Amino acid sequence: MKHPWVWVIWLAAVLVMLSITRNPLYLLTILFCVLWVGLALQRAGAEITRPFSLWKFAAWIILLATSFNALTSHYGETVVFNIPGRLPLISGNVTVEAMVYGATSGLILTGMLASFTVLNLALPVRDLISLIPRAFFPVAVVTSIAVTYLPTTLRQFQLIREAQAIRGHQMRSLRDWLPLLMPLLVGGLEHAMQLAEAMTARGFASSRATTGRSMIYPRLCMLLGVVLLAAGWLSQLSGAAVGGWMMIATAAILILGGLWYLGSQSQRSTYRRPAWNWKDGLTLIVAVGVMVVYLLPIPGLNRASLYYEPYPQLTFPPFSPLLGMAMLGLLIPGIFVIKRNPV
Amino acid sequence: MKSRWLSLAIYLAATLSGILVLLYPFFLPTNSVQKGFATYRAGEMPAMMTLLLGLCLMVLLLEAQGPMMNTKLIALLGVLVAINSALRFIETAIPGPGGFTPIFFLIILVGYVFGGRVGFLMGALTFLVSALVTGGVGPWLPGQMFTAGWVGMSTPLLRPIVRVLMSERHSRSLSGINPEIILLAIFGLSWGFLYGAIMNLWQWPFIAGPQGQSWVAGIGFSETLQRYLAFYLVTSLVWDAIAATGNVLLIAFFGAPALRALRRFQQRFSFSYTPEPAGSSVQPSEGPTG
Repeated sequence: MKHPWVWVIWLAAVLVMLSITRNPLYLLTILFCVLWVGLALQRAGAEITRPFSLWKFAAWIILLATSFNALTSHYGETVVFNIPGRLPLISGNVTVEAMVYGATSGLILTGMLASFTVLNLALPVRDLISLIPRAFFPVAVVTSIAVTYLPTTLRQFQLIREAQAIRGHQMRSLRDWLPLLMPLLVGGLEHAMQLAEAMTARGFASSRATTGRSMIYPRLCMLLGVVLLAAGWLSQLSGAAVGGWMMIATAAILILGGLWYLGSQSQRSTYRRPAWNWKDGLTLIVAVGVMVVYLLPIPGLNRASLYYEPYPQLTFPPFSPLLGMAMLGLLIPGIFVIKRNPV
Repeated sequence: MKSRWLSLAIYLAATLSGILVLLYPFFLPTNSVQKGFATYRAGEMPAMMTLLLGLCLMVLLLEAQGPMMNTKLIALLGVLVAINSALRFIETAIPGPGGFTPIFFLIILVGYVFGGRVGFLMGALTFLVSALVTGGVGPWLPGQMFTAGWVGMSTPLLRPIVRVLMSERHSRSLSGINPEIILLAIFGLSWGFLYGAIMNLWQWPFIAGPQGQSWVAGIGFSETLQRYLAFYLVTSLVWDAIAATGNVLLIAFFGAPALRALRRFQQRFSFSYTPEPAGSSVQPSEGPTG
């Protein structure tokens, strides 16, 4: 499975499910699927540089959310202990229900982070940049330059630090960063100058600008879209759900339509276009199918089990086998990753 | 002229819509709760918020990138974003205290020197690029890009105040204190707190339980605001205070030399390439215009 958009749709399916349910059994099932796909990708050789460990983050966030909610929310009937006194927000009963609610919130956040980690594992940076819509090609060029220049900048920073250290420079306070930061900034700006000249010499941006100020109508469409978006959101919040949805949908069509039109006016060449294969197709169908099952009121499905709440008294969460089986569809990318040839 | 007004309208509409989307916890009225909104759909809100904020961000980005066919601007932004992302990379490798982050320093100065459009792009793209290289792409990203973009976009608002102050004091030598740096430092201080407060809104209704400082749908604006302030004071004030102090210190220590360097390069970048008309004699066609 290689197509970037299939991974994006898989991610959307995970996020939709995580956003809808607060049932810990379903959340654990989703988390299991996501982590399994992530482990499969890691086994296949994918890796990313993360500033922190996902496991540590998960443990930390679940612990934090559980204790925070337990200490500040005093609802629930199963009292574990009581914090005496008049401490604002803290004093009162600490209940099992509040702990479960907090842990559930932690699970949702962990699931979201894990799903994005999987996306980052599955797609190299160049594929992520290729997802930037065509209308944003100047932004995509800036992003490509920045991503390419970033390792050079880090090397440059290291060189400046070594050069200053040889001269006896010591880092004692914040002020001592000046001899490191200024050469980095000035060197970078010099590099930008050379890059601009090189790009102009190679004919970049020599064609007619199509996303500039002359494109009045698509921009008017987008302006209307943004206004409708705000109006639809306000209608939604005030309870006019159908009208609100219609306005938001119209706004999305106007904005995306404007983007599509502006994108179609710009020329784009692709060095290597990612090809669709049957695995991509199957994953796409399953991911969309899972979203449909969760979003549409299909008869025979116990949708109430999605909206489980531990308050006021903790009960065992209900579980619909059909919904649970639908969730297992999220495992598909992991199966294909395992079956592919080792990288 | 029409295009200029349209551009202004798009900026205003997208910014206001973004603010409206971010502030939804304060606007959720009681009748939404009565119709089951809070019970069944409060959990969907963060996803919805990300989606709508993403759409507003797209419109703003598209408008801001309008004049970016210019190679100098593209190269300048690419390199500056890389430097700022490297600073964020260094920050994650060698974490400072609390919420200290060096990235707003350059976003503020670039927005101030090069203007709101470049400032917006600088803020938004810094977060995009650093998220791409550190694997930090997540549902929080549109909110981060939007808010950091606002930081850069709002900086030119200081220029008229600086002009007035500079004309009153005539020059820095009169008082010994550079009012420009003081104003930028105050601006950095304010955004240190504001950025945290805005980004909290993404998770506040989602993570907290239902009492005291936490969000409950449909309890009215003032009650929600009180709860949010309590939540902010307990969970974020110290963190954001360190971030804000960091901004002030960075601008106070490095602001003046960095501004000088950026202004020098702004002048060097102020030239344009004019295409040679077909059939004309070969003459040098470049010249300073700025």
